[in-house]
Amino acid sequence: MRAYHASDEESLLARSLLKDWAGEGFLSESQHKQMERETVCELRRTNIFLRLVLFFFALIIVGAAVGLFFLLFLERSSQQTIGLFLLAFAAVSYVAAELATSKARLYRYGIEEALLVCCVGFVCVGMYFTLSSGSFLFTSERNAAEFLAAVAGSILSLWIWHRFGLPYFFLGAMIFAVWLPSYWTSSDATRHVAVAALYAAALLTVMIVRPRHRFTFLIQQYSIAEALLWFGIYLAINLQLSDSKLSGRATTEFARPFYWTTWTLIWCLPPLVLARGLRLKDRFVIVAGAIVAILTLITNKSYLGGERHTWDPMLLGAFLIVVALVIRRWLASGLNEIRHGFTARRLSGKDKVWLNTAATALGLAAPNAIVPSPQAASPDAQFGGGDSGGGGASSEW
Amino acid sequence: MTILSRLEQWKEREVISPEQHALLAGLSRGEPFSVFLELNILLYAGILLFVGGLGWTVSTWSQQMGDFLVLTLLTLILAACFWYSFSRAPDWAPKEVPSPNLVFDYVLYLGCLIWTVELAYIENRFQMLSGQSDLYLLATAGLYFFLAYRFDNRFVLSLALTSLAGYFGLTISHWRSNQNSEYRQYAILYSLMAGGAGTLLERQGLKPHFFGTYLNIAANVLFWALLSGIFERLNHVVWFLFLLAACGASLAWGLKRRQFSFVAYAAFYGYVGVSSILLRGLQDFAVVIYFLVSGIAMLVMLVLIARRFGREQ
Repeated sequence: MRAYHASDEESLLARSLLKDWAGEGFLSESQHKQMERETVCELRRTNIFLRLVLFFFALIIVGAAVGLFFLLFLERSSQQTIGLFLLAFAAVSYVAAELATSKARLYRYGIEEALLVCCVGFVCVGMYFTLSSGSFLFTSERNAAEFLAAVAGSILSLWIWHRFGLPYFFLGAMIFAVWLPSYWTSSDATRHVAVAALYAAALLTVMIVRPRHRFTFLIQQYSIAEALLWFGIYLAINLQLSDSKLSGRATTEFARPFYWTTWTLIWCLPPLVLARGLRLKDRFVIVAGAIVAILTLITNKSYLGGERHTWDPMLLGAFLIVVALVIRRWLASGLNEIRHGFTARRLSGKDKVWLNTAATALGLAAPNAIVPSPQAASPDAQFGGGDSGGGGASSEW
Repeated sequence: MTILSRLEQWKEREVISPEQHALLAGLSRGEPFSVFLELNILLYAGILLFVGGLGWTVSTWSQQMGDFLVLTLLTLILAACFWYSFSRAPDWAPKEVPSPNLVFDYVLYLGCLIWTVELAYIENRFQMLSGQSDLYLLATAGLYFFLAYRFDNRFVLSLALTSLAGYFGLTISHWRSNQNSEYRQYAILYSLMAGGAGTLLERQGLKPHFFGTYLNIAANVLFWALLSGIFERLNHVVWFLFLLAACGASLAWGLKRRQFSFVAYAAFYGYVGVSSILLRGLQDFAVVIYFLVSGIAMLVMLVLIARRFGREQ
């Protein structure tokens, strides 16, 4: 079912771990070289920067090729004909991606990823055009076309995630799934419940399947999927995030029992996710748990209808700092700085690389965000400017 | 074969010692599990929220709180941060010096951000250097450079480079409205200075691991400035030639040093620049043909580069 041999992907995982351990000094250079020779695989990979530009140019080529075809042969065609040809292009893109992986042995190379992205895009637009009969006179017909396009996009994304192991296609499938309940019901509350139920069903499936793949290369794929699903369920039930902000609708329009049930759930979910992540020692699920916990703290006031204060972010920031310091101290006081199998020490060279990259990128971005403009509520205040370039550059500069 | 089976084999063949096997097998199973990265993210997010909230509160309530209280509060936090940093800092060395603990870098970063807030407050309330606010930026950049090199802190180095960019008249928010020649000249001067200073400091052996930060920032500013010149109708050929030279240099540097971000910059910025020149006045059909042909050419070139140089992740 997978596009790559399991042995190749296991070798890639082993090589990645060996590089990491050698970087941290757990392996000598000679050991690393010898072990690396024994984990050779035939898959062609490249680094992240070339992967990104290859993805970009592959997208341009596919877009231009399809554009040229339409200009030459289909300039005055009906919407249905265009839809059918888009479906054909989707098939061509998929076959090209399969050939790129099976013949050229490309693995996370950008090119095959761009072809797969185009395939999903063409299928969705193609189905929508084909089924909506070229006119939008009948709302039910348009809704059916939207529904089927979303179903097709979701199923195809899931298949690509399963076959090629690209995690962002799982996210794509989840996004398509958000559209599905709109076809069944016009009730906002039912839509929220239906999306959460869809994600919960998927989560249950992932939770059943993933123990079989513990310590194999597949565990990361399931781990990311589980984290995304927890996050998706949270977004579906947190009305302050998923409804009022996106649709501009007041959350008070919901029935009171439903509203307060979701409020209870947004407090129950973070400890549940964090506990599961910590029990499994799953980095992605832990991060998902931490994010939903912070989102609960941020949206709680809006839920309760409380007034927001300028010092709220400061208190939240202080709370996060204290939490980090307490955890670090608690872990550091354990035997060998380890407690219950957790440590605050750095054990991976990748962590250092991530931090260095983030320090450069975030250090540049942060100063623009931290000095806000004066509020209208306080017209006397003279302070602010909002666009300091670091050391307090004024907006005149 | 899973990584655990491989480790078992390597231990049996004495490629690794039993102690190494125990350690590495444990790490593969997540024993111990490191939360180092998560704690760093939590600290960083906490500090940004804290300083953001502080700035917002001070700007909103400055009249009610009064200047004395605001400045005392900010100065106390600033002094505490700098006292902690100077009292806990390891001895200075020209090479990379690891932080004494997890929070050290963030305390210094907090101090620098508080300095930014305090300075902005003083200037906006008292206009002490009215008309010469750029001097604040220059002095702040100087202070941040000193702190970055003293404490080996990349966050602060980025702040220093941003402050210096501010001195040269560069803020991201100005880019859209002010793509004029004056800004462009300052941007080019800034990128040449930052790149040159980074190179010089690396050659002197002063914190050579900072070199990448200098070069990445300088390259991006330079490419943006050159592209903005090409997008203008006047003298665009000169800027185009400069862009080609910069792309060539970036590509050569990236391949020589195996810094593939520079190869990506050369490909992306170069393509955008060349396309904006060649696409002027073209009709639909020619545009599509151009994208198809140029896309294939770029893809082939990049695949060749990737196969020859960029195999490892």
